[in-house]
Amino acid sequence: MDETVAEYIRRTILKIPRDEIKTMLQKWGFLSEAQLQTINFHQIKDNISQEVVQLCEENSADIKQAAVLDIIYNHIYPNKRVWGVYQMKKTGEETEFFDLTDFKKKFKRLLRSALKNVTINFREYEDNAIWIRIAWGTPYRKPNQYKTSYVVYHSQTPYAFISASVLKSNLPLLCQALVVASSYHDIREMELRSHSLNSLKDIVFKRYSQNFQTYCPRPLQERNVAPESADSRIIQENRNEKERIQRLNQEVFGDGPQPKLEFAQYKLETMFKSDPKMEVLDRKEPFRCLVKFSSPHLLESLKSLAPAGMADAPLSPLLTCIPQKARNYFKIREKKGFFPGSFVSP
Amino acid sequence: GVLTHLEMLEARAYEAAVKQEETEQQGEKLARLKERARELRRQRDELRAKVELQQKGQGGKEGALSDPAQPSARAVLEWKIKSLKAMLQMFYLTGISGKLTKRGVCFCVSTAYEGTYLDSYHLDLLTQPEVQIYRHSVPTFIPLEQVAKKYLQTDIRRFLSVLSDHLNAYAGRRYQADQLQEHFSDQLEGTLQRNSLCNLLVFNYHVSNQSETFLFNVRLLYGDLCCCLPTEVTVSCTPGAPACLAATAAAHSDLFRRTALHKAFRSFRRAEENVD
Repeated sequence: MDETVAEYIRRTILKIPRDEIKTMLQKWGFLSEAQLQTINFHQIKDNISQEVVQLCEENSADIKQAAVLDIIYNHIYPNKRVWGVYQMKKTGEETEFFDLTDFKKKFKRLLRSALKNVTINFREYEDNAIWIRIAWGTPYRKPNQYKTSYVVYHSQTPYAFISASVLKSNLPLLCQALVVASSYHDIREMELRSHSLNSLKDIVFKRYSQNFQTYCPRPLQERNVAPESADSRIIQENRNEKERIQRLNQEVFGDGPQPKLEFAQYKLETMFKSDPKMEVLDRKEPFRCLVKFSSPHLLESLKSLAPAGMADAPLSPLLTCIPQKARNYFKIREKKGFFPGSFVSP
Repeated sequence: GVLTHLEMLEARAYEAAVKQEETEQQGEKLARLKERARELRRQRDELRAKVELQQKGQGGKEGALSDPAQPSARAVLEWKIKSLKAMLQMFYLTGISGKLTKRGVCFCVSTAYEGTYLDSYHLDLLTQPEVQIYRHSVPTFIPLEQVAKKYLQTDIRRFLSVLSDHLNAYAGRRYQADQLQEHFSDQLEGTLQRNSLCNLLVFNYHVSNQSETFLFNVRLLYGDLCCCLPTEVTVSCTPGAPACLAATAAAHSDLFRRTALHKAFRSFRRAEENVD
């Protein structure tokens, strides 16, 4: 077995939390159950990985199997990477049949025609997600297995989720391969980025809770009947206001959990509106300013702003439009015309 | 002299007139307030009488059955809620229901397949300045934009009907594929290759013929996105299999074209059990 492969497997095992190593090796399926029984999973990770590497040596693992283990690790821990969303366009209206074998063939062919040294691996999952792992090399160097790009693509959708590696120069080639393989014509990067892959999927596939007004006979939630305190002398002074905020919040955010985003960034290119006597800017130039909201869970915190009394309800549409516009990077320019205000670029 | 005296008299007359006007206004205001107070007292007495009547009425009817000819307000309300729920349930069962919103209409398309209710999808439409989709929860692989471009502006009923066909067919295809994987995995060999729309399925399954098992490969293509049955079926056996299997393959191919996937497999299983 190649030394680099051995080292790669060893390092991959070290990334996995100790309690999960056995399950992941079972998912991998490269080592037999009998072989797995011989490993002591209670020792320190260094030793576990050494034992695993030895067994892989016995089975003559090559880079292909090692790559599969890497895919499995990234599929279980996708939040360790930053994912961007790309949208593809097609002009034709033919029904797509999406043949998986065809897709894989076209993708590999295009990448390999441009770059000889590249490792490509595919793995399909139950929810129609195709995971593609690409390790990039150069015409003179073997692929660097530690600098990988990942693409997650759901068949027959115009969206691809890409976690590019540091080597951004390979991105155009990757996009082209994707477009050709999935029978689309064009691809563009959306202004939507997050660590949480599933939340990005929820947003573009519209799986998050949108509050649609319907007559669907769900059991009415008893929201207004708060547990009355036993003492009738205690009354809620602001009950009406609280209920109004609750109602507005529910209209905007819906009932369910929000997709998980870590930040929203607003790049302002608007004019600084100040007292003309202040003479802050002599030249009529936009005041460049960047506003960034960060949070472990941005949308949930926005949802709780009004009920916590920290902001007036309804919240600014610039904040609440994030899931619907499927973006968390905005450019705000001056609106040209009769009405003052700001204009959000498409 | 005389002029200053005249001025003084004029000023005094003016002041007196102003004062008189003030007192008149105050008198009017007082009269109005008195009238208002009388009105409020009257209302209060009315309400008091009502409350007393209510309390007397409840007290007197403790334990006794209420007059059936005069159903209590509560019973009426309950009946109204019940009939409203029934109507909403009926709308839900028809598959397409809508609700007017401030800016347009919100439609709910419910899907079902042969008696099993599946997912519901929503569309929020704006009606001004023209009919357009504001937001929706339709999956991205359903050709919503195409259908909207054709029918949304001209014939909204047709738009909903076509969309409902797409969604119901998709739900039906997915249901069949899920049923196959859930209940007939023992007859399958390897993984079932499918896609998001469930309009192309490729898999291998076991066929036993006189105590020998062979592998059949199936490729099901659902050319019509509004249909739950495949338009193209290719069943092939492994090369080297006995010739009589070709007839079986043809029969299976025909069956897949006509019946739901999981039902076809149910009949295979029953056939095998009968043979045994």
